[in-house]
Amino acid sequence: MKYLNKSVLELHELLKEKKIKPIDLVEEAFENIEANKELNAYITLNKEEALKQAKELEDKEVDNVLFGMPIAIKDNIVTKDLLTTCASHMLDNFTPIYNATVIDKIKEKNMIIIGKTNMDEFAMGSTSRTSYFGAPLNPWNKEKISGGSSGGSAVTIAARDLPFALGSDTGGSIRQPSSYCGIVGMKPTYGRVSRYGLIAFASSMDQIGPMTKNVYENALLLNAIVGKDDKDLTSAEKEPEDFARLIGQDIKGMKIAVPNYFMSDIVTKEVKEKIEETIELLKNAGATVDYVDMKYLDQAVTLYQVIALGEASSNLARFDGIRYGFSAENPKNIKDVYFKTRQEGFGTEVKRRIMVGAYILSGDNAKVYYNKAMSVRAAMRDEFKRIYKDYDLIIGPTATTTAYNQTDSIDDPLKSFMDDVLVNPANMAGLPGLNVPVGFDSSNLPIGMHIIGNDFDEAKMYQLASYIEKTLDLNLTPGGEK
Amino acid sequence: MDDKLSREEVLHVAELARIAISESELEKYQIQLKQIIDSVDKIKEVEVDDDKMLIANWSKETTLREDECGEMLSPKDVINNAPRHSGNYIEVPVVIGEES
Repeated sequence: MKYLNKSVLELHELLKEKKIKPIDLVEEAFENIEANKELNAYITLNKEEALKQAKELEDKEVDNVLFGMPIAIKDNIVTKDLLTTCASHMLDNFTPIYNATVIDKIKEKNMIIIGKTNMDEFAMGSTSRTSYFGAPLNPWNKEKISGGSSGGSAVTIAARDLPFALGSDTGGSIRQPSSYCGIVGMKPTYGRVSRYGLIAFASSMDQIGPMTKNVYENALLLNAIVGKDDKDLTSAEKEPEDFARLIGQDIKGMKIAVPNYFMSDIVTKEVKEKIEETIELLKNAGATVDYVDMKYLDQAVTLYQVIALGEASSNLARFDGIRYGFSAENPKNIKDVYFKTRQEGFGTEVKRRIMVGAYILSGDNAKVYYNKAMSVRAAMRDEFKRIYKDYDLIIGPTATTTAYNQTDSIDDPLKSFMDDVLVNPANMAGLPGLNVPVGFDSSNLPIGMHIIGNDFDEAKMYQLASYIEKTLDLNLTPGGEK
Repeated sequence: MDDKLSREEVLHVAELARIAISESELEKYQIQLKQIIDSVDKIKEVEVDDDKMLIANWSKETTLREDECGEMLSPKDVINNAPRHSGNYIEVPVVIGEES
């Protein structure tokens, strides 16, 4: 008997009525992952511990909707006693001695961690091909990239291995693979979710978020992971709220803006047409949709390069071969420990980014590049705020194309940045962004719509996304039944 | 404009980044780093009010917590995570007397 194709609410009822046990779901998740092994979605499986935990839950009361649900965790979120590699040789033997705050939170709900998902090394990339463990494959077409950096999480959800995954998003790393794989992915408002235990890439933009097969279940997982955390000074103090509360409500009267840049020639014809069709759908439902001009959006990639690479070069200085992780053999002296460890431990993309970051922050360059970027960033955020005076939400495509070939432009150091041109701005401005699938291209590859909300307005984004999801009623299971 | 960085420029940023690079990597980085730096350079041309800066999307005043002892990691666990350790110490090559 298969259960995991059911909705989480149905599974919850079955668990409550004792018609199934958590171990049924856990065993099925591992069977699915084994059957989909070729997709390379996982770096580490947590089989023994997951089965043990599932057994222990049999004596406990099913007290919340996430109880006993299998979940996959991106491998840059630290899990106590469970290997956490960041898809890097630098950490391929690293077993954390504490849990990230989000891990403690999902454990409080008695969710069961199934494994750690594949990703771009240190979350640096847009295809997951920079992983030390090889790239995950897109379940819609194995010759295509999964997107990245949270590629493994997107793949395991799209392949219907299990219902829940966590990803992280610094410049689009939840939303862009969600678009390429046809799933729902949310990057919450900066500060919504504690970053404690998320291995830092660019601290002023990193954010953990939920990845699921539908909108409602996404909101359920977000409910579980938010909140102020004393261990993350940038986490926000907010009243508790149910992010699913607006799901199912009418979108009549909703005011939506489409920045012209998001629909310019940088987007392929097929993607653009699908977004335009969806916009018509929203108009027919009584929403107002206006095309608007916004300044600075075309600077997003440049801005991202300065800020993300600058912060990365500083954050990744901690990998020194001394305190944890990989250390090069036979160092001649202390300098040799640092230099050789980092040469051998980091992959090419990571080294490139650290070096450019070091260049950007060195001497007078800091003023020329970094300070200037802080000003452009302020201007970009002001520009978003100007739009939100008149509009509820901003929409556009999540990615300029659908998933491309695994073999395409692998040596182009700029391509991975350009892939995220439409998703970078939300990170710059700290705003929440969500991908919802809106259809397929002529090769049957998913196309996603990007919804950007105002600060802490996730519930309204889910409202719009669920309307789109319900109205389009797409079959989002690759090659299979709905 | 040159389409690559000089060898010295690459070696300088590698030194700043504390990354050793081989001869073949050096040649590759001369081109690739230049490509990214050229892209980054475009930030200079953006017209914007230079007085205002946004360092992070987090505007709260600095908050302080009580200076109380909280949960602590076990020293044994911490030490065991180090690639080279002995007893309660992390081992490193001799630092004193070394020329840097």
